[in-house]
Amino acid sequence: MATRTEEDFTEATRWRRRPRPTFAWVAQVVSGVLLLVLLTAHMVAQHFVVEGGLRTYADVVAWIRNPVVFAVEALLLVCVTWHGIAGVHAVLLDLGLRGRAERIVARVLLDLAVATILYGLWLLYMLAFRG
Amino acid sequence: MIGAGLRRGDKRRLVPRWLDPHGRHLGSWAFVANRLTGLGLVVYLYLHLVILSTLLRGPEAWDGMVELFRRPVFLAFDLLLVAGLAFHGFNGLRVALVGSGLLVDRHKALLVAAGTLVGLVTLVAAVRIVG
Repeated sequence: MATRTEEDFTEATRWRRRPRPTFAWVAQVVSGVLLLVLLTAHMVAQHFVVEGGLRTYADVVAWIRNPVVFAVEALLLVCVTWHGIAGVHAVLLDLGLRGRAERIVARVLLDLAVATILYGLWLLYMLAFRG
Repeated sequence: MIGAGLRRGDKRRLVPRWLDPHGRHLGSWAFVANRLTGLGLVVYLYLHLVILSTLLRGPEAWDGMVELFRRPVFLAFDLLLVAGLAFHGFNGLRVALVGSGLLVDRHKALLVAAGTLVGLVTLVAAVRIVG
């Protein structure tokens, strides 16, 4: 058997060594798969089939008042915010963030995610019911 | 995914392993590209929310901005966005499959398939945006 002089950092090997999936990994995969569906629906319905690629103000308001569209956009907001913020957290861990600094940053990121979702939901509400 | 690019003893590395160009394989380059497109898309998420907030200022503000966004420079940015989304989505699906222990030995074929799909989606988007 040949002696391995350098460690094998191929993705396959790295993944095989994983003892068990963490909650963060599972949540990232689930939100990612949901995003594939939701973002495709969003891009096609909001941009690809719209003349000129963007709706006018009146069309946006009429479109968002559809309960199905409202629900899909709200779910998209939650998924994309979770996926994005968790992704930033993962990158920061890769950069070596640990200990107290990591706990503070994780808290700030969580607050940012909650604020983003609340703001997005308020924006949707304002357009659908006050627009 | 969290912490996947960091190994024991890496804490004090100036360059995290997922950015280190030495001895990299195609799959790990795709991993780096996934991180970088992900960070870019998070920045775009907040830019998107800022732009959508213009809707709160009424029809004149929004419809005026829609006209601005139909300029070629913004259309080119739209195409870049679609390409980034497609890459992050399809390559992310590949990472999720391999990371879940599925098709681990086929990860290069999956990368080729993801690249092909990204090319196709970008081509369709280019035809739609320019046409």
